[in-house]
This record gives sequence, structure tokens and C-alpha cells, in this order.
Amino acid sequence: MKKILIADDAEMNREILCSIFEEQFEILQAENGEQAIEMIEKEKRNLSLILLDLLMPLKTGMDVLEWMDSNKLIDSIPVIMITGEASTESDVKAYEYGVADIIYKPFSRRVVMRRTLNIIELYEHRYDVEKKLEERSLELRIAMKQLKRASEKLAQNNDFLVNALGSVLELRSLESGQHIRRVQDFTRIILNTWVELHKECTLNEEDIEQIIGAAALHDIGKIAIPDDILCKPGKLTNEEYEIMKTHTTKGCELLENFKQEDSDFYHYCYDICRYHHERYDGRGYPDRLEGNSIPLWAQVVSIADVYDALVSPRVYKAPYDVNEAFRMIHAGECGVFSPDILECFDTAKFEIIEATEMVDDDKE
Amino acid sequence: MTVKECYEQMHGDYQDMLERVGTDGLVERFMLKYTDEKTMDTLRAAVNAGDIEASFNAAHTLKGIVANLGFSGMLKAVHDLTEQLRPRTEAADSSLMQKVEEEYKLVIDTIELYRNSKQ
Repeated sequence: MKKILIADDAEMNREILCSIFEEQFEILQAENGEQAIEMIEKEKRNLSLILLDLLMPLKTGMDVLEWMDSNKLIDSIPVIMITGEASTESDVKAYEYGVADIIYKPFSRRVVMRRTLNIIELYEHRYDVEKKLEERSLELRIAMKQLKRASEKLAQNNDFLVNALGSVLELRSLESGQHIRRVQDFTRIILNTWVELHKECTLNEEDIEQIIGAAALHDIGKIAIPDDILCKPGKLTNEEYEIMKTHTTKGCELLENFKQEDSDFYHYCYDICRYHHERYDGRGYPDRLEGNSIPLWAQVVSIADVYDALVSPRVYKAPYDVNEAFRMIHAGECGVFSPDILECFDTAKFEIIEATEMVDDDKE
Repeated sequence: MTVKECYEQMHGDYQDMLERVGTDGLVERFMLKYTDEKTMDTLRAAVNAGDIEASFNAAHTLKGIVANLGFSGMLKAVHDLTEQLRPRTEAADSSLMQKVEEEYKLVIDTIELYRNSKQ
């Protein structure tokens, strides 16, 4: 049986109300505001409804409403205010406090009963809806978490595959096992610096992560270069060099087998593979692109690649000192880069040198 | 004597009461209960003590009760007294209080008359 509270100082009135509700409800009675508050505090949401008289001793109906308001109960327990006379002022105040309805004395049995049942139903329905909403948003939060975990997992797997692919390449070309990782590190540093220097740049964090991923595949086309050229310790002949240069286009052919027109990642991979040997002056390969028609990410990976080649030991050379490497790049001794890229490279110099040394430490 | 005749005699509105309460039995039950109702005593005590706030509160409560019981004649008198007291500036007007007493006496006497007619 649902419970309702009747708060009215006149016993006669409580009795009339009881006679209306006693068959359908368990009734609690309060003869003043203080008692009413005590009962509400004890019963809380066990109460389906409160019938509240306005003028009561000790604490008035308004006091009870104020108490319910500050205890956040007024929205969950419906209150029907019962009042002797219609006064706009007190009515407005009561509604402001959140009463569900106001009934004037003398009240009619049927009206009181009907309104009471309606309001109880309304509040129960609202409570149900709110509860369902809460459950639903909890489910959504869980789903979001799972989705996030799945996407993290996917990124992890992606990272793993890219690294595996890169390792295959490194093993074959006898390059330092760390080359790809370092090109990625330098790419990250230079790109982040670029974004800081160029506020108009629209690359976001996700784009940068994707470019760094794509940077791992910059030399993937070397898989298609014959061993005797790829692993030749001495200087390449012109003919061999021409074949070597095709690693850019061969890489793109490879990627085209998995073409994803609408994927940014694919386009980053493609551009980096193809254009990381282009030169700002238009004298690079394979397409002799000039200036900023070379995509930014290809320019960045290009300078990272060149720098790492300089500071790393190779079969045919000892590593250059970092400062010497910076000088050579500026002097145009190993590729030609845009002034903006060079500026960015210089700005990031300290970080780049730090990263270079860290990699050296790793090797020890 | 019927409940309806009783209401007529004490300036009550039986029809209205019946509609609001539902059955003649309930009208009778509440009417008979009224003789035990103590708010009139509270009002008298407050008025005699010259306590304006307490007088208003008692008058106001009494008004609600007699309204619920359909005692229209008494309601009119209690209403006038309540309104006179509402500003809380003057003590109860003796002629208005007198009127309430008269109507109250009529109600109580009539109910007693009814009760005796049933025994």
C-alpha cells in the first residue's frame, strides 16, 4: 500500500482527508509543520504524496516546503498544498517552492482523490523515466569506455604492424635497426614545433599521430630493390642509383594495393613514400616537385630522414656530429629544404639533439 | 430529523456537502464529529487574551474546518472575523466575534438536537 502524509493542524480536516484516502493508502498524520518535517525526513521517498496545510503552528506549510527544497526532496515527493483561501501571492510562492498542485477548502472528495492519483502517477512516471535515463546514460558511458579501449587496442595493433613492416625492411637493407624509430621521433618533434610556430596550421593531435605512423613506412619501397643494390657497401653506379631511386614509386605501388581513398592515414603514407626525396628547389625525385607543392609531412619526414642518416653510422661512413649535421643541412649539402622547414628545424634543435643522444644511450 | 433538515436549520449547505463528501452517512459522521472539535475554544481563549496573532490563526483554522463541513452560515461569520484580523492591527471585533458565537451556538444546538432525535 502506498503511503501518504496528511499535514494539517485541524484534526477535523485530517479526518475528512483520511476518510477519502483510508481505503487506498496507508496514511501518516502530522498536526504541525515540525512533525511533518520529522516524518518526511524519516520516510523520504517512501511517501507517495504529501497533503500540506499552509497555516500550521510551530512550522508552517511554507517552512515545510522550504525544508524540502533545501533537502532536494521537493522534486521527488509531490506536495499538494491545501489552503483556506485563494491568495495569488501565497499560491505563486507555493508553486515557486515546487508544489505539484493547490487545493482550496472546502475541498471535494472526488476532486482531491482524482488530483492526488493523477499527481502520484505523474511523479512515478517521471521517476521511472529519470531512472531509465540514468541507466541508459550509464550504459552509454560503459559503451564509450569499451569503444575507447577498442580504439586504443586498434591503434596499438596498428603500431605493431607498422613496426613489424619497418623491421622487415631494416633487416633486409642492413640499416640501423633504430632508423625508423628515430625518423618517427624527429618527425614528432619537428611537427609539434611546426604547429607551435604556425598557428594557421590545422593539423591536430590525431593528424600528427597518423603522420608519425606513416613516417615509419617512408622507405617501404626498398623491399622491391634487389639485394645487390640495396646492400652494396660501396658507391652505387648511376644505373644502380636510378634503380635505388625507384623505392619511392615502388612504395606507392605497394600501398596502392591497399588503397583507402577516404583515409587520411593512407594519403599520409602515400605522400611520404613518394615525396620524401623531393627537394624544395625542384631537383629531387621522383616527380621533381617544387616548393610547397611538396606536402608538409613529406618535407618534415625528408629532413628527419636526412638528419638521421647524417648522425647515424652507416656501412660506408662514420656518424657526423650533431652540429656538423645541422651545418650540412643548412648548407644544402644533403638536400634542399624550405626556409620555413629550416627555421622550424633550428627552433627544435635542442630537442632534436636531446633525442639523438637518447637514442645513442639506448644503443649502449 | 434528517441530516439534510439539520443542515437547513443551522444555515448549512447540505447539497454542497453531500456532493463533496459523497454519501449522507459521511456527511452525518463528520457533522457529529464537529461537537468534539476544539478550535472554537482556542479562538475564544485567544480573543479573551487579546492575542491578535493567535486569534487570527485560530479563526483561519476554524474557517477551513467549517468550510469543509459545509456550515455556510457559520463560515460567513468566521470569514468576516478572519478578514478583520488578517492585517494583525486590531484585536477581534466584539460584534464579529458575537456573530461567530451565535452561529456556533446554532450549529452545536442543532447537532445536539439531531443526536437526541436519533437516541
